[in-house]
Amino acid sequence: MSIACADLTKVYEGGQSGWPALRGVSFTIEMGEFAVVTGPSGCGKSTLLNIIGLLDEPTSGKYSLNGRNVFSMSDSERSDARRDEIGFVFQSFHLLNRMTALDNVCLPMMYAGVDSREMRDRAADLLHKVGLKGKERKTPLELSGGERQRVSIARALANSPKLILADEPTGNLDSVSSGEIVDTLFKLNGEGITVVMVTHDRELSKRVARNIRMRDGRLEQ
Amino acid sequence: MRAILNAVKTGLTEIWAHKTRSVLSFLAIAAGSVVFIDAFSAIVDTYARLERQKEVSGIARMRISQNYSQTYSSPDDYVPPPAISYEDVEKLKEKVPGLYMVSPEGRDWRNVLEYGGERLTTSLTGVTPDWTKRDFIYTLKGRFLDWHDLENKLRVCVLIKEAPPPPGFDKTMKKKYNFTGGYDTLVTHNDMVGKTVKIDGYTFTVIGVLEEIPYSKRTRSFVNSYQDYKILAPVTTLIHYSFIGSYQSLDVNIDAGAEKDFEDYMKKVSNFLKIRFGDEEFFVVENQLEDIREKIASSVRSGLVTISLGMLAFLAGGIGIMNVTLATVFARTKEIGVRRAVGASRSDIMLQFIVEAVMLGLIGGVLGSALGYLWGVPIKVMVGMDASPIKAWMPMVSVLIAASTAFVFAIYPAWVAAGLKPADALRAE
Repeated sequence: MSIACADLTKVYEGGQSGWPALRGVSFTIEMGEFAVVTGPSGCGKSTLLNIIGLLDEPTSGKYSLNGRNVFSMSDSERSDARRDEIGFVFQSFHLLNRMTALDNVCLPMMYAGVDSREMRDRAADLLHKVGLKGKERKTPLELSGGERQRVSIARALANSPKLILADEPTGNLDSVSSGEIVDTLFKLNGEGITVVMVTHDRELSKRVARNIRMRDGRLEQ
Repeated sequence: MRAILNAVKTGLTEIWAHKTRSVLSFLAIAAGSVVFIDAFSAIVDTYARLERQKEVSGIARMRISQNYSQTYSSPDDYVPPPAISYEDVEKLKEKVPGLYMVSPEGRDWRNVLEYGGERLTTSLTGVTPDWTKRDFIYTLKGRFLDWHDLENKLRVCVLIKEAPPPPGFDKTMKKKYNFTGGYDTLVTHNDMVGKTVKIDGYTFTVIGVLEEIPYSKRTRSFVNSYQDYKILAPVTTLIHYSFIGSYQSLDVNIDAGAEKDFEDYMKKVSNFLKIRFGDEEFFVVENQLEDIREKIASSVRSGLVTISLGMLAFLAGGIGIMNVTLATVFARTKEIGVRRAVGASRSDIMLQFIVEAVMLGLIGGVLGSALGYLWGVPIKVMVGMDASPIKAWMPMVSVLIAASTAFVFAIYPAWVAAGLKPADALRAE
């Protein structure tokens, strides 16, 4: 899994000339890396992560994911790539509260057309793996913040992606839970999954080899 | 297929999670179904009735009668108008061949019938065998008059037994119309076939009894019959024995057979009258087809009105579903974002909202069909109306239309949902 960005810009519509979130960002992330993106609020970290995760499109620039030019992909190809190659972990979890933890984990597999029995078995295994055995039938509202984030990690792993994108995954958690989540992500990276994580945590950036620092929509050198 | 099953599952969860909203949607569609089923059964009923009426009444009908509205400038100008005699009717049949029915009718009033020591007031109508060709709402016991009776001017007669008056005809009306009168009692309580009666002193043999079919089972005629038939006898016999005077004109009911030949026959009949009686309008040929057409058209019109009401009800239901689906899309924008993030394609999202709406439509349609049946049969009967003739296909069509309406009206909201950008949708609160 490699990510190669060249001169990415993103201008949000609004005002007279729009609001530039990214002003020319270039970097590459190699397969198996653990990259941490840091920077003050509003510097464009999340925008960058959304673009990497094919949730948003850049205004200009080049982006290739595993050698494929993202600009030439159709909407359904992007959907398929999100489904099969990328797992997301969000700050506010983004779980569906009306569904059980198990069903939330099943969701990506459902869109992949996995057989329903296989899907449920795998979802249960993943919840077990993140330490939520016995909580399969609980809805997110019945779980603590740390537990919810572990559900969303299990969901991110559902279709065995090669890339996990985590947007401030510890932002809403206490320090104990935060530690556990970060440890889980490191463990996954140890299993060969590329991790790109946006965080405010300065300490964390010291633990990884790859740091991407941003300010005002640009990379800090 | 699996995608649809998943969408159905999600849909059920959503419908269950928003019970109030869902119930309101069901009701909107269900109301459509009820009106639709009612309208459809009304239309089917109307058409079936029209067909039966056409069979019984015929449609190419006309009637010759004396023109009572002739005016004279002074009493001195008055000459007794000519009368249509039985010979005229025979001549008409000869000169205008091909008519399906030519049924002359001559009437005598206040005849006295004697039987078994009783004397009853009744009335005699002279007819021919053609009388049975149209508006025959009777069952016959014995036999009807035949041409042999006519040719030989036999003193035979057929008695008519009237059906009990329709419900709503109260007792005072019964008395007024003399339904419990002596004649009716006589034909009700005696088997008269083969008996001999005396009418105004002449003996007549009763060869048959015609029993009127009850109102509820009878097909109504297009043609208003003002006649109140009691006793039928060969018209030739009544003329021969002077029950019908030579000054008295026969009325002639005619059925041209087919609608397409009607105008042609109207002209021929009028011409015949002109040639035989001169240019003065002593007779009128009443165009009953016009009336019948107007009656059919107004039935069809009222049918169209009901069906358009049904369609409007569905339209309202559909707009309700569109509204609910749009509201759902906005309320669940974040969920759409989440689903897109984990790999749902645009078509997955579209399918989900369409399936949900179609399920609302289906459930509403089924509910509405059940209510429609309840309204159309038990409730209508309870409040004293006629039950609607609901056929099995009506609820099926209604459910189908409900589902299709929901489908059509869900396309736009689903398209809106599918068009949301994942990143924007995720940011929604």
